[in-house]
Amino acid sequence: MNSSRFLTDFSPELILLVGACLTLLVGLRRGSPSRAWESAMGLLVILAALFAAVALGLPKAAEPALGLWPTPLTFYVRGITLLVGTLLVLVGWHQPAAEERGEYVAMLLFSLLGVLLTASANDWVVLFFTIELVSVPTYVLIALSRLDPRASEASVKYFFLGALAAAILAYGLSFLYGATGTTTIHQAASEGVISSLPAGRMLSGTALIGLLLTFAGLAFKIAAVPFHVYAPDVYEGAASPITGLLGFVPKFAGFVALVKLLAACQWELPREVLWVLWSVAAVTMTAGNVVALLQTNVKRMLAYSSIAHTGYMLVALLVGPTSGEGPMRDGVVALLFYIAVYAIMNLGVFAFLTGLRIGQRDAETLDDIAGVAARAPAATLGMAVCAFSLMGLPPTAGFLGKLYVFSSAFSVPASHDFHGPLLALAILGVVNSAIGAAYYLRIVAVAYMGKEVEPAAPAGGAPVRIGLTLCTLPVLLIFAWPTGLMLHARQASTAVRDSITAGRTRVTTVQPWDAGGPSPLRADSGGEPRPRTRAGGTAAATPVARDAHDTTRAQP
Amino acid sequence: MMTIGLTHYLVLGAVFFCAGLFTMMTKRNAIGILIGVELVLNSANINLVAFDRYLGPGRLDGQITAAFVIVLAAAEAALAVGICINLYKNLATVDVDMAAQLRG
Repeated sequence: MNSSRFLTDFSPELILLVGACLTLLVGLRRGSPSRAWESAMGLLVILAALFAAVALGLPKAAEPALGLWPTPLTFYVRGITLLVGTLLVLVGWHQPAAEERGEYVAMLLFSLLGVLLTASANDWVVLFFTIELVSVPTYVLIALSRLDPRASEASVKYFFLGALAAAILAYGLSFLYGATGTTTIHQAASEGVISSLPAGRMLSGTALIGLLLTFAGLAFKIAAVPFHVYAPDVYEGAASPITGLLGFVPKFAGFVALVKLLAACQWELPREVLWVLWSVAAVTMTAGNVVALLQTNVKRMLAYSSIAHTGYMLVALLVGPTSGEGPMRDGVVALLFYIAVYAIMNLGVFAFLTGLRIGQRDAETLDDIAGVAARAPAATLGMAVCAFSLMGLPPTAGFLGKLYVFSSAFSVPASHDFHGPLLALAILGVVNSAIGAAYYLRIVAVAYMGKEVEPAAPAGGAPVRIGLTLCTLPVLLIFAWPTGLMLHARQASTAVRDSITAGRTRVTTVQPWDAGGPSPLRADSGGEPRPRTRAGGTAAATPVARDAHDTTRAQP
Repeated sequence: MMTIGLTHYLVLGAVFFCAGLFTMMTKRNAIGILIGVELVLNSANINLVAFDRYLGPGRLDGQITAAFVIVLAAAEAALAVGICINLYKNLATVDVDMAAQLRG
């Protein structure tokens, strides 16, 4: 890809990058504390990037590029991230109130940039770094978000666990590199993370360790059990707009990365790995919903709700794109649709919390929002719509999201070797949605019928109200007219399915893996024989590999 | 004499990984925990360089990746110090056990 083509293809990302750097500079200016120039600037940058993304349209089906490769999945991710990004800036318009707003908006833009690049990443290294580009600004955002000591505690917890997850991810990806001999994802897909082994054969130890560790690293980003422990504390400690961001940005990036990882495995995981993911999904949604019932702090409650929603999304991820086309069958469509809807409805509730202040503190417990409907009827109505959507009731987008996720699991063909467990998982998901309804209803009931403890005053002004409105309306509109979002999700999923098919064809054309020999040689793209070992674990293979290596080196 | 092969390097990486995890779990000082994270990141580096040496001679994918990971580790250390100073300003300590307001 030549450089001018690269500049055009990645103009939304470049706009975000330049905009974030400029916002940092503008933020250095001393001025009156009530100004919100940086927020306005952030909004402009995101809208400009969105305009560029729409103007670019669907990326042309080109040859796989190394490093960054725009696909229709990129287009979908760009659109959703930037649209939700505008809402995030609106909801956090006056946050933080101190001098740090320039850094705050810049970090928000960097984080969004990370999500956009994750969707284009075609190399494990690039993927690792884009995931880090998503996470690292969020550590800063939490610390900056408010002066409360709880925010600094939350940032410490999130940072250390996040850094550990990143390190585990790097360790896992190093094993995937060892198993495939390449860092390029589409080559890994054909060179066999798993795929070059015929079905039923044991997975090489290296690839298995790599896969499980990579899942562990990404499970932290999507807040799946057992890597969810940070979520309640961090959600409670951070200011409400940032909590809304944490429910979307790292989760979206994590799921996009998981889709890429599973596509590289051609959605054919060995049974053991499938069972691990199955248990993670089952425990994640159940634990999230049950513990949420016990909470009195709305932010903690929504943290557990976010964990539960991760569980639902994992169901769709397990189904994958291979069982059929269309929203009712294709798991990836359901996943992409669900995560977009979840981002909006979740942010709606946090926008409601941002718009309320109790004396000098932010509204966050059930007592704080008790009886608030009398004082802020419009905002409470907006929150109620979003809460009903989180519950999954019609006529909201959340209902459609749940419908697609569970119907994709129900329509898995009986020939699928994981048919029964997926069915059980979908039933568990439906039961969980019913449990979940209890605590969302509690929020709505307390806001409408609770007795006011301390009077709540409106806060945040017009931007927050606009933000809440813009969260509420799509929730209703997507229910009435889901085809727009669905069309793009289907295009993205088709691209994923095509990449899987392409990977399969490449597998059949390359020389099949000689299972008997310890280090089969395979012709590399450079024409030079490249020695490979099965798994690093077998000591017998090692000297052979080294000998082969030395002979290769001896060649001129 | 025993020759050193790929497996030895992988075992070394695994030892680093476990040592890093152990450090993270036992240290109470924020800087100590950071050292644990660095150990885990370096276990990935050892793996990358070892796989590169034994599996893909002539290509430098693994070594370049390791160089990138080192850069990331440096960036993360800088951020960690910032976050620790922020914690110190609020609590006058970097003992993470003292940061325990968030529970439930």
